[in-house]
Amino acid sequence: MRWLCYHLLLRECLGANKMVNGFIILFGLTMLYLAATSRIIAHIRILIAQGILLFLICCCGMKHITFLNFAFLTVETLIVKSIIIPAFLYKVLKKTHSNRDVAPNIPHFYCLFIASTILMAGFLLSQYYVSAMKLISPIYFGVSAAVIIISLWLITIKHKIISNVIEFITMENGIFLLSLSVAKEMPMLVNMGVLLDVFIAVYILGLFINVINTEFKDLEVSNLSDLKDYEYND
Amino acid sequence: MINTILIFPIVACLLMLIIKNKCFTTLMVNLYAIIHFVITLLLAFGIGSRSSIPYFAVDNTNLIFLMVLSFVFLMVAVYNNGYVKTFDFPDVKIRNYSFMILVFVLSMTGTILSTDLGISWVLVEATTLSSAYLIYFNRTKHSIEAAWKYVFICSIGIALAFVGIILLNISSGNVNTLNFAQLYKYAATFNPNWLKAAFVFMMFGFGAKMGLAPIHFWLPDAHSEAPSPISALLSATLLNSAFMVIVRAFKIMVLADCVDYARFMMFVMGFISLFVTAVFVYHTRNYKRMLAYSSIENMGILIIGTALGGVAYFAVILHLIGHSLAKASFFLTSGNILELFGTKRIKSISGLINADGKTGWLWVISFLAICAFPTSVLFISEFIMIKTMLLQGHYWLCGLFTLLLTIILYGIGKVVIKTAFGNLSEDKKEQICTNKSRITFGMYFPQFVMLLIVFILGIYIPPFLNNIINCTVAGF
Repeated sequence: MRWLCYHLLLRECLGANKMVNGFIILFGLTMLYLAATSRIIAHIRILIAQGILLFLICCCGMKHITFLNFAFLTVETLIVKSIIIPAFLYKVLKKTHSNRDVAPNIPHFYCLFIASTILMAGFLLSQYYVSAMKLISPIYFGVSAAVIIISLWLITIKHKIISNVIEFITMENGIFLLSLSVAKEMPMLVNMGVLLDVFIAVYILGLFINVINTEFKDLEVSNLSDLKDYEYND
Repeated sequence: MINTILIFPIVACLLMLIIKNKCFTTLMVNLYAIIHFVITLLLAFGIGSRSSIPYFAVDNTNLIFLMVLSFVFLMVAVYNNGYVKTFDFPDVKIRNYSFMILVFVLSMTGTILSTDLGISWVLVEATTLSSAYLIYFNRTKHSIEAAWKYVFICSIGIALAFVGIILLNISSGNVNTLNFAQLYKYAATFNPNWLKAAFVFMMFGFGAKMGLAPIHFWLPDAHSEAPSPISALLSATLLNSAFMVIVRAFKIMVLADCVDYARFMMFVMGFISLFVTAVFVYHTRNYKRMLAYSSIENMGILIIGTALGGVAYFAVILHLIGHSLAKASFFLTSGNILELFGTKRIKSISGLINADGKTGWLWVISFLAICAFPTSVLFISEFIMIKTMLLQGHYWLCGLFTLLLTIILYGIGKVVIKTAFGNLSEDKKEQICTNKSRITFGMYFPQFVMLLIVFILGIYIPPFLNNIINCTVAGF
């Protein structure tokens, strides 16, 4: 009971309902920054920012939250998403010396334009289609859908393997935001399983990046296209 | 009983961390395979089906999947005993290999036994992560590439499946559960639009794991680069586990009266899978890749059969059993060929029967089993599906189905005949004679047993198995 009072007080202090929309919009805007930059260290910083924003959205957005749930969400957003995963990726980055993802398939200006269009479509979707639905918060839904689509699209145009992993994590962040859009909560066990799986997936992908770095000259995706049907070398 | 299947590998893995002995780890894999098989048999006879672990149970739908997994795992474990002896790797690596096999089979068993969609999702992802090491086991550039694609594509696919689960949660309105029984119970009250969107995501997500085109890209690479016993497990059990989750999702669609939409989507993905196989199997230069494409084809057939409904459900279960056994046999035999010739290149292999008669004939008979040559059980399943298509008036689809299957049959048959028959080149004879001595009896026996079952099931299905299949069909 005391916990609930503290939580409600925190929500009031933050001006919860107004603030949460701001945080969600900021979360969407981080994707524009991701689309427009080539420095991988900046991408990792974006991951930290997204983790913190997700934590703030959880704090302000969830009305009826138990202590256990809050503790879990804090671990998930603040510790795993903002500290552990970025720290691990930073370590991989230092080890592999791949600082920039130069010359993606599409120039950065067009990337920014396309990402903005997708984000705008997300807002429009939430405004005109989803707002009529009960049990869903429209702005959560629109921004998370946009984040998922932008991440998937960025995966297809980036050249560096580590960039692909970063976009995979932003996609997972988008899915996390989507799960917050539902007024109901997923069972705790499922949430824990999801977190564990994402964490291990990132860890394994990180290990593979190290292996690829030792086997190949650089961390370009094009190195991983030797397995073909029409020609085969043992 | 279910508790033992799920807890034993955890205990075994902990013991493997303490007792760092190669023989002990191999023993644990064998022991788990035997325990898994015995318990599954008992469950099949209705003994000890109560579980004290929440979220896991045996029901009408998953029993046959569990039986297939259990039997294939037992056969792979027998083969693996001989296969491990051919390794030139340090003991640590072989220990890790056995460790990861246990984790992999545990996650597949958990996926099959799970009564909750969320837990199924978590365990499907766990299968990806545990099998990544096994695919990367040979540590070549190709195996890195295959493992990377596998983890990355499947993780994205499974993440999209989670979007599907969230959308399903939205569609279920005030019903806040992911338990399958509860979802079935309230399916009629779900919002159809959100449910359809959820099914699209789940179909793509779990379909990626099942190897359905157009999200199949990881499959030929992973199956061809993994060690042969792992390829057999991937093809004969992992794909089935993902299929089972799709079957559960399909049942929700049926009960929610959105079945036409689901069927259309399944038909599209099934036929694209057949088309992709027909195109690529004809040109592939690697015989393990060819077998991988055959798995895509058979997954396509399973999904088409499920979309057809009615009697085709019975055919789907027969096909599932037949494909799992025949494909496991095919992959294990390909391991023998790789051991003999030291290459996966089709061009470099001929005169297999002259090189090693047993491997050669197992190769040919595995082909006959997989291409539905009577009395293979796959003949019965494909025959029933074609008949169902005709009875439902899908004449064009039936024509397309038979045409694509014929092209695939020709593509695989051409390779099998080229490799099995013909003369063995003189310069390879000595090397093959040396390699042949490394293939033990245990590397022929499992294939023989599995093929025998495939051909017997085509003419006689034991009453107890028939009952289980009928129960599964009722649970569809």
